[in-house]
Amino acid sequence: MKYEGLLERINWLIRLRWIALTGVILTVFVVQKVVRLSLPFFPLYLIPILIGLYNSAFFLYTRHIWKKQPEDIETRAIVFANLQIGLDLLSLTALIHFSGGIENPFIFYFIFHMIIASILLSRRASFLQATFTACLFVSMAGLEYFNILGHHCLKGFVVNDLYMNKVYILGTSFVFITTLYLAAYMASSISVKLRLREKSLKEANLLLEEKDRIKSEYVLRVTHDIKEHISAIQSCIDPVAEGMLGELNPGQKDLIRRAGTRTSKLIFFIKALLEITRIKLSRDIEMKDFSIVKTAENAIILVDPRAKAKSIYMSRRIDAGVDIIKGAQVYIEETIANLLANSVKYTPKGGKVEITIEDKDGSVLIRISDNGIGIPKKELPYIFNEFYRASNAKELERDGTGLGLSMAKQVVERHNGRIWVDSEEGRGSTFSIMLPKK
Amino acid sequence: MARILIIDDDPDIVEAMRVVLESRGHKIVSAKSGAEGLKKVKLESPDLVILDVMMETMDKGFEVAREIKSDKGSKDVPILMLTAIKDKIGMDFKKEAGDETWLPVDDYVEKPLKPQELLEKVEKLLKTI
Repeated sequence: MKYEGLLERINWLIRLRWIALTGVILTVFVVQKVVRLSLPFFPLYLIPILIGLYNSAFFLYTRHIWKKQPEDIETRAIVFANLQIGLDLLSLTALIHFSGGIENPFIFYFIFHMIIASILLSRRASFLQATFTACLFVSMAGLEYFNILGHHCLKGFVVNDLYMNKVYILGTSFVFITTLYLAAYMASSISVKLRLREKSLKEANLLLEEKDRIKSEYVLRVTHDIKEHISAIQSCIDPVAEGMLGELNPGQKDLIRRAGTRTSKLIFFIKALLEITRIKLSRDIEMKDFSIVKTAENAIILVDPRAKAKSIYMSRRIDAGVDIIKGAQVYIEETIANLLANSVKYTPKGGKVEITIEDKDGSVLIRISDNGIGIPKKELPYIFNEFYRASNAKELERDGTGLGLSMAKQVVERHNGRIWVDSEEGRGSTFSIMLPKK
Repeated sequence: MARILIIDDDPDIVEAMRVVLESRGHKIVSAKSGAEGLKKVKLESPDLVILDVMMETMDKGFEVAREIKSDKGSKDVPILMLTAIKDKIGMDFKKEAGDETWLPVDDYVEKPLKPQELLEKVEKLLKTI
């Protein structure tokens, strides 16, 4: 998508032009009131006003084609950029003509136009623009020299009648024109390199995304296969452990119980891995209207037995205004339940867990806070990473997949939302989720 | 005591379920594929079918369930579906016959299932007949 970058640069040029024309008006004003040169000020004010008019038109046109996205948008953008630079060159020539022509040192401001052309256009087009500038410049100097066009002297600034001095005209033209081409050459060399770099970065990024997808597919396949086997193992262990094939002696019972526990832990882990990989791979998840309040209630009911078992007081505060939002209800419920379960897990007996849901213009803010063990400050940046578990969490609970929070992050980001954490070790954590309503 | 048909292509799972269900005195018949399952539904006229969703293909189980429920002779036989995908597949268990997402099963349970869970689900379904 070449034109995307080009349109972005055109927008930049339009913004730049507003600054430039303000500068022109200020300069003319200073020359008129402070330096007090006598110049034809009517055209000198008229030209920036005209620039302002065509800049407004350009601004509207850019917005129009960006919205409409016609098929030939790329050609249009290129023609459009060339037209803008051409008009700018004409305007600057006219300004220079009315303020001393070849005697005006501002002629070297054309270099900026060459740089802009090189940033926006191809190398060939910027050389063409340099040639156009050279023609404009030579015509202006020539027409003034032969008195076809009136000359406006910069009286009090330069020696009079420099514009009639052949050697001065030839010398200045030579320096001017070579400067134009050199500027175009140098600036386009740099911008061509930059553009190539940008392109290869984009390609590399696409390649990485593709590789990541292939990796996820691989993980999905492998995990799926493992799950089949481990499910069969669990199904075979359980009836034996429960004595359905006859009573076991204490030693047999103990070992088979250990095997059973380990298998269920592995299954739990595999399920989490499957789920996170599935959501990563699914291009779009189905979004429907649902009640966030009901969803939160479901999650609370799910976690409540675990909280009661640890005599943790679980409270809720829900804004009356919030209710229906758009999203994948099952995933959001799971995310909230996950965060609540985490809070309960890492909060000592008798602690407190609170969930609040508030309306935040256009979004809902869900906060789950506890007065549990918290997260060490230096580990905060990593806790949403896959398989990462905070050191104090591992100390407290040997088992855990390290996938819960990264799953939550995946889900929230799939909803164009944001998830973050505030925590202090030993005092508790607050997880916040911001979800757009639509 | 009931006659239960297990349709699943994983012989280890079938054996495990057989042990669990036989401990309550049920009589077990099994089939390794959808086609064999459909044949045995007719031949053995079971009181209950336990059906795995993923066999030869991702959703062979759905197809088999639809066939069992479309046949006059077997439409009242309850089906317990074994599935890992649960409610994330966009299937609606209550839709009318003929609908594309029609899933004519009476209950479903995620694999691997605990023996107690399996027994409870089975008893519940058998009570409905």
